[in-house]
This record gives sequence, C-alpha cells and structure tokens, in this order.
Amino acid sequence: MRKLSPTRRLTLITMLLAMSILLHMIEPSLPIAIPGVKLGLANILGLVALYLFGVKEMLILNFMRVIIASLLRGIIFGTGFWLSLAGVTLSSIVAIILYKKSPFSITGISVGSSAFHGLGQILALMFINQTVMMIYWLPLLWFSAVPTGLITGTLCVQVLKRIRK
Amino acid sequence: MLKLNRWDKLLIIFILISSIALYATMEAFVRATTSEKTVAIVTYRDQEVMRIDMSKDASYVVDGTLGEVTIEVKDREIRVEKETSPYHYCSIQGWVKYANIPIVCLPNHIVILIQNTEDAPNGEDSVIQ
Repeated sequence: MRKLSPTRRLTLITMLLAMSILLHMIEPSLPIAIPGVKLGLANILGLVALYLFGVKEMLILNFMRVIIASLLRGIIFGTGFWLSLAGVTLSSIVAIILYKKSPFSITGISVGSSAFHGLGQILALMFINQTVMMIYWLPLLWFSAVPTGLITGTLCVQVLKRIRK
Repeated sequence: MLKLNRWDKLLIIFILISSIALYATMEAFVRATTSEKTVAIVTYRDQEVMRIDMSKDASYVVDGTLGEVTIEVKDREIRVEKETSPYHYCSIQGWVKYANIPIVCLPNHIVILIQNTEDAPNGEDSVIQ
C-alpha cells in the first residue's frame, strides 16, 4: 500500500478500531450451534491492522477493542473482560510470532491465533475458577478454531485485497 | 477462494489431531475417575453453596448473580434446567454424569462440579441445602 499521511493513517486505524468494537459487541448475538464458540469476526480487523500497519498497531487495536467494548457493555473487570483479555493477549502473541517467523499465510495465521484465543480463555477460566478441569472444554474450542479461523482468515484476505486497491 | 499453503495445512492437521487426542484423553480420564457414588458441588463466586447427592432425583434452586438457577438431578446425571443469562450456555450444555466436568454459568458466577464421594470431606451422605 502507498505511504499514507499521518492524518489518513490515524483515520484508517480509528475506523478499523470502531469496526472491530462493533463486531466485538454484536458477535455474541449471532446464532452458533455450539455454546461458547464464536466466529471471532473482530479478529479480522486485528489481522488487517497487522498486515497494513504492523505489530504495534495490531496490539493497540486489539487491546483498545477489548477495553472499550467491555466499558460499553458494562462488564469491565468482570469475568467476561478477563476472558477476552486473556484470549486476545495469547492470540495476538501467536499472530505476531507466526507473522514474523514463519511461512504461514494470513489464513494459517488466523487459524493459529483462533486456536490460541481459545487456549487463553481456558487458562483464564482455570485461574478464575481455580480448577484445572476447565481444560475439558479446550478440545472443543481448539477444534472449532479451524473452521472459524478459516472463515475469518478468508474474510481478512478479501478485506485486504479491497483496501489495497 | 481459500488459499492454503503447505504450512497452513500442517497447522490445521496438527490442531485437529491434537484436539481429538486431547478429547479422547479427557473423556477416558473422566470415565475412569468417576465412581458409583458422586456428589455435585455447587459454588457461587468460589464459595460452596450447595452439595447435591447425585443418587436422588430432585430439583434444586440456588441464587446466581442474575437470578435463580434451577438445577435438576435425574438418573445420576445433572443439568442446569433454567437460569437467567443472555445466551443460556449452561442450560444448553445439558446433562453431565462424569466427575470433574464443570458446568459453568459465567453470568451467574455459578459452577457445578461432580465429585466422587470419597473426595468429599463431609462423608458420602452429606447433603447441604
């Protein structure tokens, strides 16, 4: 993508953040047959920020999204907030590692970060509820990360293609 | 439309195989560690509020953060029958019969965990309501 002026860059990042907050907030109401499984649509904007701007911008976008969406939903520092924070932390770390050090495509990175988002949430649940057996739900989240990661990864490719035009 | 390279495919295969292997291991573990006599421990905000004898079919009500949570025991299986929450994940989860599989009702801060009575500190017949 051609070099953007600071104002255009800031505007684009802010718009990505606004869209990711919107997706984060409406996603729980989308009907999915498996309890606790989400598509992770907001993650698309995080990956878009990673590929358009870089690591710092993706981290800002992901963490600001969790904090602002939790504030708007009135669950800041509640259990849901810590689950989102743990999930987004681990998924962002994995996305950065795969982006920097591996031959994976955007779709592969999306699948990897989806899987580790689930792991982050399970680790947070284990810590909050003080029971290691929360790991029982990990295979379900891990397995569902493949279709959800493929969907979000494919959407991310399409979004990037259109933005870069 | 869907473009995957060799590494993406390997990652997907690894995730699918590891999730199936982990599920099989967990399932074998909970089946092997569930004894004949079990109790269900109900906690609210990490505090035990009820201990349910799994051998007696009955319904119980505990207070959660968003309202009452109705728990049903039938044929040594337990479920959340009714609760007030945005998405009703814990009632959708359905029946659980093996020890150590948690039923988590996050919005209500209620966790139900079946334990073998040998682990229960108050003896196998204790039921507190």
